[in-house]
Amino acid sequence: MIQIKDLNYQIADKDILQNIQLEIPKGVFAAIIGPNGAGKSTLIKLIMGLIPLQTGEIHISGKAQADWLKEHNFGYLPQREEFDRDFPATALDIVLMGIAGSIPLGRRCKASHKAKALAVMQKCGIKEKAQSFIGTLSGGEFQRVMLARAILSDSPYLILDEPEAGIDKVGVKSFFALLKELNEEGKTIISISHDLHTLSEYCSFLICLNRSLHCHTEMDLVNAEMIQKTFGETIRLIEKDY
Amino acid sequence: MPGFLITALWGAILSGISLAIFAPYVTLRKISYLGEALSHVAFAGIAIGIITGMNLNLAAMIFVSGIAWGISWLSRHQKLQEANTITIFLSLSMALGIILISLSRSYSFDLPSYLFGNVLLIQKGEVWALGALSIINTLYVLFFYKELFYLSYNPEMAKVFRIRTALAERLFYLLLAINIVLNLKSAGIILVTAQLILPAVIAFNIVRRLHFAILMSIATAIFTALVGFGLSYQLNLPTGATIVICQGLLYGISFFLKRRV
Repeated sequence: MIQIKDLNYQIADKDILQNIQLEIPKGVFAAIIGPNGAGKSTLIKLIMGLIPLQTGEIHISGKAQADWLKEHNFGYLPQREEFDRDFPATALDIVLMGIAGSIPLGRRCKASHKAKALAVMQKCGIKEKAQSFIGTLSGGEFQRVMLARAILSDSPYLILDEPEAGIDKVGVKSFFALLKELNEEGKTIISISHDLHTLSEYCSFLICLNRSLHCHTEMDLVNAEMIQKTFGETIRLIEKDY
Repeated sequence: MPGFLITALWGAILSGISLAIFAPYVTLRKISYLGEALSHVAFAGIAIGIITGMNLNLAAMIFVSGIAWGISWLSRHQKLQEANTITIFLSLSMALGIILISLSRSYSFDLPSYLFGNVLLIQKGEVWALGALSIINTLYVLFFYKELFYLSYNPEMAKVFRIRTALAERLFYLLLAINIVLNLKSAGIILVTAQLILPAVIAFNIVRRLHFAILMSIATAIFTALVGFGLSYQLNLPTGATIVICQGLLYGISFFLKRRV
């Protein structure tokens, strides 16, 4: 479970997140929705400790965030990963990044680590690209490489920032189906997404955010009013899909 | 061949090797401007050495390491862009160096030798120091191979996956500073920068994998040191500059041979 209390975050005196009180139960497939600039990416970066807390507390699996992060990491799939297309890394090298933190200093990845990485790549449908350099991969292929890396890290929490970006409609369906499978295997998944139609099919928990929290509840209990409050004027578009 | 020439040849080869081990990481992390800035910052360190009567290398090493650490800290914690931070330190250090040297009224200080280097002036002890440095660099790269690889790829994602890059990064700046200072005599402030980039750029034009690029970078440094030294001896040219011109020519050739992805 992830518990967030009294969380506020400002950039240059502008409120990005206001008084967030949130509990994300263990084992859910949670979606964070909200318009652009709602603070969704900031919230997940705060949860992962990538940006320091200003006010408030975050507890992960019953431990204070800083203590939990000393021994664990999140499986994270960023919205966009900055990298040089000429960087001399193969897809397999990037997937192995997920496990590299658990290998002691001075040691390299062993054959067993590589076998484990290839098995995860197979699951993500990207094994045949293992030896391809990252600069040669398409957006969708690289997205799957990043998912394989997040899975290999063996974290109980997978956090995804708009995973459907760069994937075609068919690809999105199989991508979310794979996430659902991982969720059923016990991983808690938290995903930012704009694809409400897909979310309604796969997610079990919805977090509506627009700087402050508008709802956080089981997917079945969500109604159009909650979504309207979050998105404001864009409600008609959403009602169509919902 | 006279003894001092053999010493100088070893100096040129080991200077090239020590910088070539670092060059692929400097290129991948896109911090070649940092190498250039630190080699200029060394000027202030040398001036401090002259004023205080300290060993010039030691004074420069302490000063450059401190500045390298300062640049890294300020960039991480004060949200200053690294390029701005480096320019601030570079300008201040050069200004400080010029003021200190003018205050010291030292007429014995051979500025051109520190700017352009003269490998023929290298002493046996300094060659041993460059040899030891090459070994330390090799051990460092072997020990922190995966940490340096992922740090060069994306430091933020390395942090997410708890890859222990902090020690590797601190040592990187320290060793970079030591490499620059110890190579000043043979390569000079101006030419150290070229030696920190060209062998790696040539290597990445020919090979893809990082470990091959490191080996190719070292091979390039040895080859150009031998050819450049021979040419400078035959044609009575400055050695450091001739070595860099050889690397420039090799870069041109490698550019045409550049692998296609």
